[in-house]
Amino acid sequence: MKILLVDDDPVARTIHAMLLHMQGHEVVEAADGELAWRLVEEGNISFVVSDWMMPNLAGVDLCRRIRAADLDGYVYVILCTAKGTQSDLVEGMDAGADDFLVKPISPEELRVKVRAGERLLRLQQGLAEKNRELAHINHQLHAAHKLVEDDLKAAAWMQQRLLPLPAQNASGVRCAWRLHPSGYIAGDIFNLFQLDESKIGIYLLDVCGHGVPAAMMSVTLSMVLTPDATHGSPLKRIDPATGTSKVLPPEGAIRELNRRFQSRDDRYFTMIYGVFDIPSYTLRFAQAGHPSPILVRPGIDPLLLGTGGMPIGLWPEIDFDCFDVHLAPGDRILLYSDGVTETINSQGEPFGESRLLAFLREQQLRSLDELLECLLAEIALWGSSSEFTDDVSLLALEVTKTSIL
Amino acid sequence: MQFEESSILDVLVVRVRESRIVADIAAQFKEGLIAYVTSGKRRIVLDLSQVTFIDSSGLGALIGSLKAIGAGGELALCGAREGVISMLKLTRMDKVFRIFATPEEAAASLSLHNGANSETSQP
Repeated sequence: MKILLVDDDPVARTIHAMLLHMQGHEVVEAADGELAWRLVEEGNISFVVSDWMMPNLAGVDLCRRIRAADLDGYVYVILCTAKGTQSDLVEGMDAGADDFLVKPISPEELRVKVRAGERLLRLQQGLAEKNRELAHINHQLHAAHKLVEDDLKAAAWMQQRLLPLPAQNASGVRCAWRLHPSGYIAGDIFNLFQLDESKIGIYLLDVCGHGVPAAMMSVTLSMVLTPDATHGSPLKRIDPATGTSKVLPPEGAIRELNRRFQSRDDRYFTMIYGVFDIPSYTLRFAQAGHPSPILVRPGIDPLLLGTGGMPIGLWPEIDFDCFDVHLAPGDRILLYSDGVTETINSQGEPFGESRLLAFLREQQLRSLDELLECLLAEIALWGSSSEFTDDVSLLALEVTKTSIL
Repeated sequence: MQFEESSILDVLVVRVRESRIVADIAAQFKEGLIAYVTSGKRRIVLDLSQVTFIDSSGLGALIGSLKAIGAGGELALCGAREGVISMLKLTRMDKVFRIFATPEEAAASLSLHNGANSETSQP
């Protein structure tokens, strides 16, 4: 190993250099502390054996300067003293010396102490190497994480644009909606559209699980669930004889969806799908494992509709239940995902159906849009953070007074 | 993910020692149950008395385990609390899983050693 030997006494320096050479070390010599410091500053020195008493810069001061400097690696310093008194040792240790040799130096002592220092330096260098590796890996991880995060943000941006916008001009109804994804991208989707001149379709679905797989499935579903029969919509059936399309009842549409979306893993989705027949004011729902929609009618308590049903994608050839609700102008229907009722507060208590119903009763007079905004705020407050743990989606329709044909 | 196992007759009773079966542990949960199935257990009662909440991923894991057991076996539930029961009813899983009040009742019904209940009487 390369050792910087510092001594103003040329005779002592020559003897010590010879000893170190014989022990297999490469020796660089300096005649005083200042000259030694210049060599240390230049780098490539990690081991110093220095005399204490020297002109210009004493050994102990050289040691202090080395410790105070911002050098690349650790420098191991052995101070040599002729005096060997107690106070010298304390001062030397304070200055940061690693070890001491008492003059005259015995070859055996020199060998043992240099070897001890060498061992410590090797450990230190190993640690520094590990730290560099860790820093490098950390940097790579950080870059990878940023890449994934950027991708997710881009995916969320795309998803927001892929989601169909519920129709604002569907005849006979007004609608409002809110979507608050739990991560960057959502597994909840919904829509409201005109199915034909007398029927409106409305749905909200929730793909089980979160993140990318759920979002990919929800985007696929949003593409499939279109009122445009020419693209093989499961919501309509084309009569081969006449070429005209007919709106399927919701239970038929859900059955068809279930047939098409049988998953090989445990992935499924829950859905509520309604077809509103404008002339008869009848809204027919099929419920597939999804939370019950709520009817908000002026003058009565808000009402949960339906009792449930099997989710979609688990078993083929399942029949789905349906139910009718007759609406009147001013009536509202709220569809929502389970993220609404399952949001828990700091005590672990879920927001729940009863709180949702009470909120809708108290806030009846608000406009449809305001109502959803306040509800979202109420749920966020309950969850005591703006970070929802599950997707929260809300879709509401109101039968307008002018909708009577 | 913690399970506590015991046996009643020829039925394995697995007590779920988690309060929430949700997305974070759903995969582990299913793996654990599948491991019982691959080790030859075909009559399993899942004791849910400590579970307060099952989310959609948790339900997916339950259904996946049921499918893994297949026609030759049975996975029944017991001790489910009100919140869990209403979720099972909403998704009609009360028609898919047999649900019992206690592990003893469930085991008595599932066991092949029970004279009133033979393999052929199973659906």
